[in-house]
Amino acid sequence: MKLHVVHIYPNEMNTYGDRGNLLVLEKRAQWHGLEPVIHYYSAGDLFPKEVDIVLGGGGQDSAQSDIQKDILRIGNKLHTLVDAGVPMLMVCGTYQLFGNRFLTVDGKEIKGIGVFDVETIGGAKRLIGNIAVETEEFGTLYGFENHSGQTRLGQDQPELGKVARGNGNNGEDKTEGARTRNAIGTYMHGPLLPNNPQLADGLIRLALQRKGATVQLKSIDDELAVRSRQNAAKRSY
Amino acid sequence: MRKIAGTLLGKSVAGAVRLRGKSSAQALPGLVVEKIVPGYLPAMLKQLPDGVTIITGTNGKTTTTKMVVELLRANGKRVLTNPTGSNMTRGIISSVSQQAKHGGKLPFDIAVLEMDEAYAKHFTTMLRPKFVLGLNASRDQLDRFGEVDTVAKLISETMLAATEGIITNADDKRLSAAVREAKTPVHYFGVSPKLLKFFPRDDELVAIDASTPTLQAADVPLAVELTDFEGATATYRLGKTIETVPLHVTGQHNFQNAAAALALVRAIMPDIEPAKLIKQLELVKPAFGRGQTFMLKDGSALQLNLVKNPASFRQGLASYVKVSTNVMIAINDRVADSRDMSWLWDVDFSSLQGQTIELTAGSRAVDMALRLQYDAVPVKNIEPDLDAALKTFCALPGDKVIFASYTAMLHLHAALERKKDL
Repeated sequence: MKLHVVHIYPNEMNTYGDRGNLLVLEKRAQWHGLEPVIHYYSAGDLFPKEVDIVLGGGGQDSAQSDIQKDILRIGNKLHTLVDAGVPMLMVCGTYQLFGNRFLTVDGKEIKGIGVFDVETIGGAKRLIGNIAVETEEFGTLYGFENHSGQTRLGQDQPELGKVARGNGNNGEDKTEGARTRNAIGTYMHGPLLPNNPQLADGLIRLALQRKGATVQLKSIDDELAVRSRQNAAKRSY
Repeated sequence: MRKIAGTLLGKSVAGAVRLRGKSSAQALPGLVVEKIVPGYLPAMLKQLPDGVTIITGTNGKTTTTKMVVELLRANGKRVLTNPTGSNMTRGIISSVSQQAKHGGKLPFDIAVLEMDEAYAKHFTTMLRPKFVLGLNASRDQLDRFGEVDTVAKLISETMLAATEGIITNADDKRLSAAVREAKTPVHYFGVSPKLLKFFPRDDELVAIDASTPTLQAADVPLAVELTDFEGATATYRLGKTIETVPLHVTGQHNFQNAAAALALVRAIMPDIEPAKLIKQLELVKPAFGRGQTFMLKDGSALQLNLVKNPASFRQGLASYVKVSTNVMIAINDRVADSRDMSWLWDVDFSSLQGQTIELTAGSRAVDMALRLQYDAVPVKNIEPDLDAALKTFCALPGDKVIFASYTAMLHLHAALERKKDL
């Protein structure tokens, strides 16, 4: 069975090794006996017709304002996919653009598409370190945060999880990331998926459920990920 | 007065540190002098007749600085330089105060200083350098240096502070664009169009389809061009002169660094005969932990390579790994290594497919093995303890290559120098 993975803005939003998230989804899909099909969507392209999972990475500030116009152009399309339950993982810069707006340190406003009811304000201090986050659906997630944007959730916006170690959205309210239907926004790099295979498989499972597929995921040898998680649990911020 | 006071102070602190047996505390005299005698460093360096030359950029600073220093010395210049691994002010102040005469006079013609991108920019506010060489701007440890545009801006501002000459990489689009309008003369180094495919630029490292990068030769005249390389020999063109030279410092990225060094030395000493200058490259040996080779007691060779960001790791894999080579990868996560492992996922390890990595080591040995798992490269042993890993690795027959992050490299280098049981 084919699994269509769309990586948005791969050339503009690709700092912090987020390419690794795509590699993990692609390889795990193969190991589960699926046939991953990778689509790259860049500014100005036609959005792919078949979409099972959408991934987005972090970017430099310059790249963020470059793609802002384009993401507003495809905002309706992305909303439709979110409403249809398509799983998405938006990291850092794309998480911010999936929010309502981002106010940069120098006072510029970058409007987002509002999939998440969140607002980000550029801060003077960068929040950098090893982070651990507790989630109901995916257990503990380990990652590395590195952001100056401070994000606040709207009243009814669920977070991705609670910060067990680190700063998360803003370093104050112990929330990290956001979750709207099956779309996830997060500040966690590392990249996120290699050390959290349960989340990678979770995204694949949600995608299959939405397609109405009854494919059973195979068991994968995750010994290395298990060991890296044991180390991550002991690490300090 | 400042020159004498700072020099004496630096020398006495260095003496005290030596008495207490802490030879590694290179920076302490510099720290003390900096606090007590402000303005010491610019005052001292201003006496040098050929002024200060800064070498900065993401990758290749240490190797290129070593090449430039040795080429200038071979041509009669007395060169002051900063010791490897201490490219911050304090290290520089320490070496200045220790090498100055007691009267505060510096017995040198020129200072050639390696500086990281952030410090170089800061340094130019204290003292304008005569020449600045900006090697390249590439994605580096993002938790320390920021994003690549930020890094390129720092390097560009440093280059524009040069009073007599800017030397930069014609093939680095961020750096070459930044100096196009410079008032100071710009000397470009570069590689011939047919070699461009061996030198992917930052954006191509992470481009979605790296097999078809949009490679375009820079449209600026090159002061020095790397026209060809094969094995350990490289061919350079300086003006009309074309010369081939065998190098101890191998690897395609180092052939490019040598082009940068030639361009800088040529700008400082325009009267040296080009063919002679190229030939002098032959004498330069690899710098500390940058492709340095150690002979082990069984007669096999072990090469130690610093890897510190996706570009340098990729260059190391392309230059040094042959099918028959034993490979160990040692990754730590202290601040000087990058605490974030994300950078490992911007390195394409698929060139290692078909090989087994003997060992991954260091505090992130498991993370490294996990990274390789996703590029289908098996790892035989995971040994976080660097000494134990080195011992196992050295016991293998045949030639060996180690790729190590900064603090892992320092640790392994020290162990290899001691050569106990290796």
